[in-house]
Amino acid sequence: MNKPKVGIIGLTGCSGDQLVILNCEDQLLDLVGAIDIRDFLTATSANDTESRLDVAFVEGSVVSQKDEDLLRRVRERCTILVALGTCAVWGGIPTMDRDQDRPALLRAVYGDLNWEYDTCPAKALHEVVKVDLNLPGCPIEKDQFLATVANLLNGNLPLLPDYAVCTECKMKENNCLLIEKKQVCLGPVSVAGCQARCPSLNIPCVGCRGPCTDANLKSAAATYAENGVAMEDVIRKMKTFAPVPVSEQP
Amino acid sequence: MKIVKIPKKKLDLFASILRQHWEIHAPVEQNGRYAFKPLTHWSEARLHYNRTILPPKKYFMPPRETMFHYREGKGYVPAQEELDQRLILFGVHPCDIYAINILDEVFGGKYNDPYFQTRRKNIGIIGVDCTPDEHCFCRSMRADTVEKGFDLFFTDLGEEYMTLVGTSLGDDMVLMAAPLFEPITAADIQKYKQVSSEKRQAFSLDVEIHDLPEIFELEYKSEIWDELGDQCLSCGSCSMVCPTCYCYDVADTVELGSKAGDRVRTWDSCLFHTHALVAGGENFREKRSSRIKNRFYHKQRGMVAEYGRPSCVGCGRCIVGCPVHIDIVQVINRLRGEDHANRG
Ligand code: SF4
Ligand code: SF4
Ligand code: SF4
Ligand code: SF4
Repeated sequence: MNKPKVGIIGLTGCSGDQLVILNCEDQLLDLVGAIDIRDFLTATSANDTESRLDVAFVEGSVVSQKDEDLLRRVRERCTILVALGTCAVWGGIPTMDRDQDRPALLRAVYGDLNWEYDTCPAKALHEVVKVDLNLPGCPIEKDQFLATVANLLNGNLPLLPDYAVCTECKMKENNCLLIEKKQVCLGPVSVAGCQARCPSLNIPCVGCRGPCTDANLKSAAATYAENGVAMEDVIRKMKTFAPVPVSEQP
Repeated sequence: MKIVKIPKKKLDLFASILRQHWEIHAPVEQNGRYAFKPLTHWSEARLHYNRTILPPKKYFMPPRETMFHYREGKGYVPAQEELDQRLILFGVHPCDIYAINILDEVFGGKYNDPYFQTRRKNIGIIGVDCTPDEHCFCRSMRADTVEKGFDLFFTDLGEEYMTLVGTSLGDDMVLMAAPLFEPITAADIQKYKQVSSEKRQAFSLDVEIHDLPEIFELEYKSEIWDELGDQCLSCGSCSMVCPTCYCYDVADTVELGSKAGDRVRTWDSCLFHTHALVAGGENFREKRSSRIKNRFYHKQRGMVAEYGRPSCVGCGRCIVGCPVHIDIVQVINRLRGEDHANRG
């Protein structure tokens, strides 16, 4: 059987998700044994950037015309496109400022240099091309990535949880930071898969995996505000990793 | 039924005798809440506690459980790991024992569940009586006392625990530590009656469950469900912490680069939007309001039709564990038009 051809491609992001793949130490040999990695700039400079790909994992968000062109090319090259990490799935942290005046932001960062700078408000992959599978996380979970590859090799898409972090948090029998300590824990609106990593360490969830499909942002925001947190701050927190429409709701 | 008593100061001795044959798990304090955990020292056990975060169901149907392994050439191999682990849960409240008895019917009736059954056989239960707090309503749910489902049951009489022997295994436990136990006296019986009546009067919550299925039927279209649907976060907490929520989801964990894997079941919840989603994209309970309605209907009405009683045992866990304060007692009382029925 021919090994599926895979590309792991980065747009604008921190490469954290690609590093998670490189950090799959124990499974790395199985991984390269099972798939043919053709294009992975973070790992090697000898890449085939033209051939067809069975699967492309794309990290990062689209913040420039260059990103957008690359993404469209990858989409044309591949059969299955997987958004890798919260930036790719939701836009991530770069989308925090996307409603603001772009030239003003440029001036604030680079001064009055008057460059022709290739920049646009940040977008998630699905806002530009069709995405076949989302692997959220900041960074992604190693086990979800490996499960994805294992399932794709069997001709399936993986079944990833689409319920809240709270569910995994309760399964681990943690004390609840929201109920017991009145902290703004975004567990009830964030998608599970991390085994409630942060609440398990007594740190409130900041929603780095993005919202679950059915997130009730309005009711959650009201609950945090009830605990004495200013609605403005609640909304800012909720919009850290995904441009969710929370401001219009409460 | 055999009834004896054991002085409180001899409990650690009793525990050390039991420990020669079983691993003992008991409620342990965890930042102001409680959780059943394996004991390293008897002194960690807290027999006076309100409720554990997760109910003992975690021992009989763990949150994640491998059912079998599959591999080309080998076929399906049932997972045996941990199934034969022999342990004793020391300090289980009556409502939680009642809940396990309900799970017995679910996993032991028409659809026998060998995983549950094996664990049930290998796990001993020592019950302990309790004092209700402001969220307990087990008495309303007729689950404040149990006649079966425990090997031993302890009632606090002050200096000693009156010990009810429920099974031959329980009898063995007592015989193993025979010198520690004493016969009960007429004074103990008096004390027991007093404790029992004090407990009865300690409840601050009260709901009437008589004709509740009919009320639910009549209020099927109540606006309460939409209101609750707007509030509920679908976070799943109430199902995870409920001693009688038994839904699970089954999926395969595939091994990388082979056709082998594990079939794994994981706790599920009818509050998830994926719960009633079927192939083709149809969702029978798309709206959150219909999902939260389902939770209450299944507990308070569906189970009555199927098993003759509601499956809610009134432990209060879903009340203390809901981030948006959805309170099953208030919901029932509102449906009944008795908003102020709480005596608390
Ligand atoms: S600590 Fe956070 S994630 Fe855990 S149950 Fe509470 S709100 Fe949910
Ligand atoms: S608990 Fe929240 S912030 Fe932490 S890893 Fe999970 S989703 Fe991210
Ligand atoms: S429905 Fe709530 S009160 Fe009733 S048994 Fe379940 S967790 Fe306890
Ligand atoms: S705990 Fe409350 S918010 Fe969470 S699913 Fe249950 S009812 Fe809804």
